[in-house]
Amino acid sequence: MSSQISDGPTRAAVRDRLNRVTDPELDCSIVALEYVDGIEITGHRVAVDLTLPTAWCSPAFAWMMAVDARDEVESLSTVEESRITLHEHMHETEITRGVNERLSFGEAFPDADGDVAAVRAELDEKARVARQYDAVEALLDAGLDAEAIVDLSSRDLEMDDSTNTVAVYVDDRSFAVTVPNDPIERYLHKARETALVSEPDASLFRTPEGDPIDAESFALVHRRGRLTQVNMSSQGGICDGLREARERRLEGAADD
Amino acid sequence: MYQQNEEDIFVIDAHVHLWDATEENIKHEGGEEFIQCFYDYHTTFTPEERQWDMDEYRKYGADRMVADLFGDAAADMGIFQPTYLTDFYAEGFNTTEQNAALATEYPERFVLNGTFDPRDGDQGLEYLEELHENYEIPGVKLYTAEWRGDSKGWRLDDEEAFEFLEKCSELGIENIHAHKGPTIRPLNRDAFDVADVDDAASSFPELNFVVEHVGLPRLDDFCWIAAQENNVYGGLAVAAPFAQNRPGKFSEIMSELLWWLGEERVLFGSDYALWNPDWLVEEVMEAELTQEHRAEYGVEWDLETKKKVMGENAADLYDIDIEAKRQAFQDDEISQQFGLEDHYAGEEPAAADD
Repeated sequence: MSSQISDGPTRAAVRDRLNRVTDPELDCSIVALEYVDGIEITGHRVAVDLTLPTAWCSPAFAWMMAVDARDEVESLSTVEESRITLHEHMHETEITRGVNERLSFGEAFPDADGDVAAVRAELDEKARVARQYDAVEALLDAGLDAEAIVDLSSRDLEMDDSTNTVAVYVDDRSFAVTVPNDPIERYLHKARETALVSEPDASLFRTPEGDPIDAESFALVHRRGRLTQVNMSSQGGICDGLREARERRLEGAADD
Repeated sequence: MYQQNEEDIFVIDAHVHLWDATEENIKHEGGEEFIQCFYDYHTTFTPEERQWDMDEYRKYGADRMVADLFGDAAADMGIFQPTYLTDFYAEGFNTTEQNAALATEYPERFVLNGTFDPRDGDQGLEYLEELHENYEIPGVKLYTAEWRGDSKGWRLDDEEAFEFLEKCSELGIENIHAHKGPTIRPLNRDAFDVADVDDAASSFPELNFVVEHVGLPRLDDFCWIAAQENNVYGGLAVAAPFAQNRPGKFSEIMSELLWWLGEERVLFGSDYALWNPDWLVEEVMEAELTQEHRAEYGVEWDLETKKKVMGENAADLYDIDIEAKRQAFQDDEISQQFGLEDHYAGEEPAAADD
């Protein structure tokens, strides 16, 4: 049974942390995707149970989610230790053991060829491209054109938290348009994770390959952003359906 | 043939299997996991009243397959895409030889594809030649994520794979169906990565590369590659049944495909028995693009496009003369068995077209 002692973490705090963990393929929170089956808090220890949509979910993706869940929960000062258990997966034993014993991916899977860094970076890049589409749509809606958008850098942005908007300066800061901050901030968060906009005067928006965009190819790059979103939401539909189907199957088996 | 607006649409199901996943045939837990995962795909995207139970799903047999595909003329022809998985299934999941039993019984109705596995080396090259000699296979289905001993998969741009593609080119085996699947060695890589298709397709312009389930979950990478390599095609398995329970998503995926690849490089396939053409064809034929998607992408899912996707594109790749087939089907064995002579004579719609 869960019990909360005076200075242990609250359930809400743990959930909030887990909510920051995304399925790297879908760029969507594992809480929203209902991968979290259980959270058990005992004093300063937190146990989290995870089940993914299929037993065949990529072991690399499963590993990333399990590690991220562990690290997010343990970032709470009230948590001493977390234990992550992956269920119903082809590699549940290796992943559960590896994550809790703090092994590297290579140590958990001796027959793997190195780490998951490359595939993680690739998926982060896709998430950035998908988020760029929403940010650029917001700028187009505000009346900016391709030339103005491809010229932007992060120093042209001025966040206003009191109104949840961003002022976007264009034409050598001669004027600004105001757009909602959510799509811009979501984009910036991922762009910083992928180390693309570390310099204030670096081009804000990029091709999927990470290069600055020229105005002539703006439309095509924007299409690719849309395509990346369609891919994620389609795969999301498949994962969601598979998860429901498996739940029904397992419930059916339990009833027999 | 499917009838719409008083026109007949000849349907080639470009992706079918005759598999055996009975418990007696399973020799590794992967085999059980595999069929369970397939079954989840089946139930997720099949109308409830058309869902099979697990026992019939494990093994349905040749008679049922013929009836499902051709009994009410939902499909007019089928293309066998073998999936060996001999590390999981004692006799294989569905090998070329197993599919051949049915394909050679009805050669006018089935196209029989073979396979290769570059990990088999010289023996594999010999096997490919043998398949060519015995069956004159016009294509191969490649399952890059297949487990074999310690190996959990291979890539189309491996040096060894290129040797096999060269052999295909030499033998005139023109159609390369690449199927991306879960868990590949090395485990830390992305099993669904389609980047290897790019290199293979540009190195072998004389071959056609059909990426099954349109690269999902890498639709974006797939479309981008296909936009640059005009010998890359998309097989609609997995995407097609979205038409039934996620029509908005189907509209969006189809719009993307038509925008990036055009109407000549998309091929219908049911992936039978994952899904059954006896209801799937109708769902796809009756699906519509939303107004928003038509405006956004400037593409149409109209009769001309459907004719290409549902049959003509596959007919081009496999040198099938649709009109000659239609004539032949007026009195072939299958039409006699199911009373479809008039249907192919153009006098009476089949039951499925109601």
